[in-house]
Amino acid sequence: MAKMKFLMCTDGEEHAEAAIRFGGRLAKEMNADASVLHVRRPISSSERVQLTTTRKKLTSWDLDIPGIDYLTRAREILDEVGLTPSSKETHSRAFEGGVQGATELHLVGAGGENVRLRLREGDPVEQILEEAEVGGYDLIILGSHGRRGLAGYFVGSTALRVADLATCSVLIAKNIRRDHNFLLCTDGSDLSEQAEISGAEMARVLGAKVTILSVAEEESRRDEALQSARRAEMILAQMGIEAKVKVRVGHPSEEIAAEAKDHDIVVMGASGSSAVRKFFLGSVPLKVMEYGECPVLIVREKRGKIPLQAG
Amino acid sequence: MAIVSELLKRKWIFIGFFVGLVILTLPIPEGLTPIGMRALALVVVTFLFFMTEPVPLPGVALFIAVSEVLLGLEKPTGVAQSFMSDSVFFIMGSLMIAAAIVKQNLDKRIALAIVRLTGPRIERIVLGLISVSAVIASFIGEHTVSAMMLPVGVALIKFTSDDRKKVKNLSILIMLSIAYGAMIAAVGTPSGGARNAIMLAYWKELFGINLTYFQWVVAAYPIILLEVPIVALILYRSFSPEVKDLSPAIAALREKVKEEGRLTQQDWITIGIFFLTVLMWMTISSRIGLGITALIGVLLFMVAGVVRWEDLNNNVNWGTILVYGGAISLGLVMKQSGVADWIAKSFLIWVEPFGIHRGVPLLVAISLMTITLSSLMSSGATVGMLGPITLQIASLSGTSIIEAGFVTVISTSFVYLTSVASPSCNIVYGGGYLNRTDFLKAGWKLVLISLMLLLLISAGYWRILGL
Repeated sequence: MAKMKFLMCTDGEEHAEAAIRFGGRLAKEMNADASVLHVRRPISSSERVQLTTTRKKLTSWDLDIPGIDYLTRAREILDEVGLTPSSKETHSRAFEGGVQGATELHLVGAGGENVRLRLREGDPVEQILEEAEVGGYDLIILGSHGRRGLAGYFVGSTALRVADLATCSVLIAKNIRRDHNFLLCTDGSDLSEQAEISGAEMARVLGAKVTILSVAEEESRRDEALQSARRAEMILAQMGIEAKVKVRVGHPSEEIAAEAKDHDIVVMGASGSSAVRKFFLGSVPLKVMEYGECPVLIVREKRGKIPLQAG
Repeated sequence: MAIVSELLKRKWIFIGFFVGLVILTLPIPEGLTPIGMRALALVVVTFLFFMTEPVPLPGVALFIAVSEVLLGLEKPTGVAQSFMSDSVFFIMGSLMIAAAIVKQNLDKRIALAIVRLTGPRIERIVLGLISVSAVIASFIGEHTVSAMMLPVGVALIKFTSDDRKKVKNLSILIMLSIAYGAMIAAVGTPSGGARNAIMLAYWKELFGINLTYFQWVVAAYPIILLEVPIVALILYRSFSPEVKDLSPAIAALREKVKEEGRLTQQDWITIGIFFLTVLMWMTISSRIGLGITALIGVLLFMVAGVVRWEDLNNNVNWGTILVYGGAISLGLVMKQSGVADWIAKSFLIWVEPFGIHRGVPLLVAISLMTITLSSLMSSGATVGMLGPITLQIASLSGTSIIEAGFVTVISTSFVYLTSVASPSCNIVYGGGYLNRTDFLKAGWKLVLISLMLLLLISAGYWRILGL
C-alpha cells in the first residue's frame, strides 16, 4: 500500500496545536508523510514591494518572517510526539522558497516519513484546498474552536468550508485529545463502509476503542439500522477489530453528537464527487461538525487522479 | 465549473460595464452635455472598479486611459500628457528616494535612536515609535516607513518574549503605534504621500492655485504634531501592555546594533542627499517644479553610487505611479467635461436644506465623505475621484478651495478603523500580530478626535494663515 499523506493546518491557536499533536502521532503510528501548513495573510499587490523589503530587514535582524514562527512551533510539537528527530537548527533560513507554491522546510522523520513545514499566502480556505490538491494528500487535519453561535460561525467557518469543499478526507479535530475513541457511523451504504474501514484502521494504530453506531430515523426502521450495524461489525471482525454496536432512534446528526459527546471521534463517509450530491449527503456530517463537541472525521474515497501523461 | 468561478471572480467587470452602458443610454440630465454624460459613465464605472478591484489597480488606470480616448473625451496625446505631469514625476521621484533610503540599513540605527531617547518604559517607547514613524513618514511616505519600522516592532516584541500569548497587548500596542504613526503623518508634506501630489496638481490645473512645498508643511504639519501624543495616549489606554519595562529587549537590541558598527560613508551620503532634496523642495521647487527637484535628488543618489538602478527597479512600486497618473487624468476630464461641476451643483442643491452647503458644516461633510470613501478604496483613488468634486463644491459655495482640498487630503489619513484602508495598516497587519478587530478598539475614538482636531485647525489656525 502506498504511503498515506496527511496535511495539518495551523493558525497558531491552541486548538491547532492540539490538532498537530494528534496528527503527528497518527502519522508516526501509520508511518505516513505529514505536512504542516500555515496560510499567511495576503498582502495586496500595491504593497508587495514593501513586503519584500520588510522580509529582507527581518532576516537582517535574525527574526523569523511572519508565519514561520507558527511552523517552528509546529516543529516543536512534532518533535515532542517523536515524529521528527529533535534538533536545534530550526531557523527560518533553512526554509526554501517556491516549492510547489509555498515556502518549505523538508525534514525526514524518525521512521523515514517525509515531514514538510509549508507556508502559503492568501485566503486560508482556497490555499488549504489548493495545497491538498497539489500535494495529493489523503487527509486534511484542521483544528477548530469549540465555540458555538455567532463567533463559531465566523471563526470556525474555515474548518467547515474546507470540510465541505475538500476532495479528500478531512478530520476536524475539535477538542481533540489523546484518549479519544472512535465512533463509526453507518447507514449501510458503500460510502459508510469505506469510512468504517478507514476509521477502524486508524483506531487500531492508535489503540483506541471502536463503537459502531447506526441511527434509525423512526422506530419502525430500527431493525434495518441494526442490520447495517451488524454488517459493519462483520467487516471489522474480518479485519480483526472488536467493536461495540449501538443503535439509536432519532434525528441522525443530533443522535450522533449526543452519542459521541466529547469522548469519541465521529467517523462518517461522504461523497467526494458531485457537488450536488455532497450538498445533500453532506448535511449530516456538517451539522455534527458544527454543533457537536466532538472531533469529526469525514472519509472520502479519493477521486481517481487524472493521468496527465497519457500513454 | 472552473469557468464559472473564473467569471464570478470578475463579476464586477461585467457589472461595471453594464452600469456604464445603462448610463450612456439614459436621457441626458439638465446641465450636462453629451460629452459630460460620457465622462459621467466613465467616472461611475471607474469608481466601481477602484472599489472592487476586479483587475489590479494599475489595470484600472490603463482602463481610464483607453476609455478616455474611446469615448472621445480626450486625444491620445492629451491622455498621455495628463498621465505624466510634473506631479507624477514628483510621485515617481519620491518613491525612488524612499527606495534609496530603505536600501541603507538605517532601521537598526533608528531603532536604537528611539530607545536611547525614550528609555525602557513602554509608554515612552510607544510615544517614540509614533513620533519617529510620523516624522519619517511625513517626508518619505507611509509605505516605506511601515516596512522599515515593522522589523523594529517585531524585534522589540520578540526580544521581550518568545511566547506571543504572553505579550498580546504589548504586540498590538507596538504594531498599531507604527501603523498609525506612519498613517497620520503621510499628509504632513507633499512628498509624504502621492495623494498630496494629486491635490497639488488639482489646485494648479483646475483652479490655477500654486501652493509651495513650504506652504503645505506650514498648513498641514501642526495637525500631525497634535495627533501624535493623542494617538499615543489612546493606544496606551486601550491596550494595557503586559510588560511595562522593556529593558531586556533594549539590551538585546543594542547588541544587534553593535554588530553593525558605525554609520558608513554611504549612509552619511544618503542622509545628506536626502536633506539636500528636502531643502530644495522647500526653496527652489516653486520655480523648477517638485517633480524635477525630486529627480535631481534621485540623480544625485545614482551619481554618488549609493543606489543602483536595480534597487530602484525592484523597490519602486511602478504600478502606483500609473494609478496616480490615471487618477489625475480622470480628474482633469471630470473638470473639462463639466461632470465635476454638475455633481457639485447637484450635491449643493441636495444639501442646502440641511444647512451644510458652506463653511465649516460643508468641511465636516467633505471630511466624513472622504473618510467613508477611503475606507472603501485606496486613499489615492479617493483623492483622485473626490478632489475635483470637493474643490468645485467649495468654489461654487464660496468656501476656501485650499481648505476644502486640505480637508479632503487630510481626512484620508483618518482611516483608523480597518486594516485595508491605509497602506501602513495593511503592511503592519501583514506582519501577523494584529487581528482585524484590534483596529476598531482604539480606532473609533481616534477618528472622532482627529475629526475635531481638523475642524479646530480649519476654523482657527488656517484662518490666521489666511488660506
